[in-house]
Amino acid sequence: MSGNKDLYDAILNGNAKQAHAATQAAIAAGAAPMELIQGSMVPAMDEVGRLFEAEEYFVPELLLAGRAMKAAMELLKPLLSASGQKMAARVIIGTVKGDLHDIGKNIVASMLEGGGFEVIDLGADVSPETFIAAIEQQQPQIVCMSALLTVTMPAMKLTIDALKTSGLRSQVKVLIGGAPVTMDYAKEIGADGYSENASGAVGVVKTLLAGA
Amino acid sequence: MAERSKSCLEKLNRMKLALSHQEADRVPVSDFFWSSFLRRWRQEYGLPSDTDIYRYYDLDWMQFNPNLDPHIKTFEILKDTPEEVVVRTGFEAVIRKKYDQAMPAFLTFDTNSIDKMRMFEFDDPWDPRRFFSAGDDQINGVGDSFARNLPPFVDRMNAAWPDFPVFGGVCEAHETMWRIVGSENVMCWMGEYPDEIARFAQRIHEFALGLLKAQIKAADGHLDGIVIWGDVAYKKGMMFSPEFWRKYFKPGVKALIDEAHSHGLPVIYHGCGNVRKIFQDFIEIGVDAYNPLEFKAGMDVLDLRRRYGHQIGFCGNMDVQLWANGSQEELKAAVLTKLNAAKGGGFIFQSDHSVPSNIPPSSYEYVVKLVREHGRYPLQLGGYDLPEFNNENSRHSGYAS
Repeated sequence: MSGNKDLYDAILNGNAKQAHAATQAAIAAGAAPMELIQGSMVPAMDEVGRLFEAEEYFVPELLLAGRAMKAAMELLKPLLSASGQKMAARVIIGTVKGDLHDIGKNIVASMLEGGGFEVIDLGADVSPETFIAAIEQQQPQIVCMSALLTVTMPAMKLTIDALKTSGLRSQVKVLIGGAPVTMDYAKEIGADGYSENASGAVGVVKTLLAGA
Repeated sequence: MAERSKSCLEKLNRMKLALSHQEADRVPVSDFFWSSFLRRWRQEYGLPSDTDIYRYYDLDWMQFNPNLDPHIKTFEILKDTPEEVVVRTGFEAVIRKKYDQAMPAFLTFDTNSIDKMRMFEFDDPWDPRRFFSAGDDQINGVGDSFARNLPPFVDRMNAAWPDFPVFGGVCEAHETMWRIVGSENVMCWMGEYPDEIARFAQRIHEFALGLLKAQIKAADGHLDGIVIWGDVAYKKGMMFSPEFWRKYFKPGVKALIDEAHSHGLPVIYHGCGNVRKIFQDFIEIGVDAYNPLEFKAGMDVLDLRRRYGHQIGFCGNMDVQLWANGSQEELKAAVLTKLNAAKGGGFIFQSDHSVPSNIPPSSYEYVVKLVREHGRYPLQLGGYDLPEFNNENSRHSGYAS
């Protein structure tokens, strides 16, 4: 790891205060924001994801790493905006209409931010119309949808159909996930990708973007 | 109090034999139902709005919870429209229930800091209002439906007692904790303040043990078992580390099981998700049957039977997604294949969580009929028979994980 070790360690250990302090110190020392993101934060979240896949980290560690990363990004986002630099891609994420579960979706959002993406979180109970409006306004490359109930999964297809009707389908890649969701279901409803967990979502998004 | 019916005594024997890994007359069958499924079922079958599905299909057991809320209080109504209600409950959580949505939304938790969690007090678990008074409570009243002023626990339980085996219920520490402080706080504080979470888990388990003892006393010998509600996992695995669970949650769960067993009451443990990392622990602490065995989380009753033999019973595992979308041929294949796990007893047939509204009532009925027809001992499973599960073999211990 060639980047800022203090920042890397702070994120890996889920210490938001230390992440904030390390970022502040790095900025003061002249580090470029994108260098901190790509050189320290993304590798840290990659390692968090690896540890989660290996079942050495669990939801608490993921959430705390996400909070630490957010604490660092609070300082970096204004600097990125000022310099006109953009994150690797823009992602819109939400739990579909009728479904109020959000902890899984929140973890995916954290992991995607940690993966160097700009994430716009629409929250839970998001109607197809709300997804459409957000896509029109924010122009994302990726749309992520989450559902935790078998009775709310159909809203994923409704949203994809709404994308087609509104002429937006070809502008975005759609990734779905959630407890009852499977790869087969993703193919059935015309989604572009599926991830069975939060850490895997980052890899799937990168694959989708590479193939775009 | 009426005597127990002949049918009830048969069901009791059926459940008792199943839970002690013996073959009764047939495999027991029951379930937990979404209120939206019940509405659909009554409507499609032209049944009166108060038709009881347990009586209609003569299912094999029922479950009742007393008021398990930390604070015994009437719901504080913050908003009430034809579309939704917003209430503050005895967990001091503010919950919005939109009537056209399956699940409620937890908006805020009053106990939103470590200091508040430290100071949180529980009302007396022995308070008679929990068992003998009508009232509001979150566990029974705010879920896929919304209900207020429920009849007393003992009345609800005793109404079913003549005709059904009745199980009581209690929540283990995580199930209670997230309802008090919110899931995200539980998870984050586990990482940031593990000792505080450990202390709170211990306090909750002391409260739960009191609730259990009091419930058993209040039921005055009428309970036939206990369900412990305890989600600690999701689709891919544990929400938090097995080591943390073993150190700070397992002892409390064991104490609940030991208490139930001291009264001769078997324990069905309900825990969603993939719990394979701690499944051996549940066996060790004496869980009599594990529920619901979510198929979508990779829990497969046949795989579990191979792995653990008859060290533990199983209750659940019928894939609700297949149940909702499968053809009759597919449903028959799934049901008869799963019934292999019932060789030598130890299996109660149920869904892999609860029966949701997207399961056609005709499919629900078809599956129950299949279990009734093909779940009669000795099992005749035809082309779905798996000799590896034959009775003699299935009594051997499974290989260790």
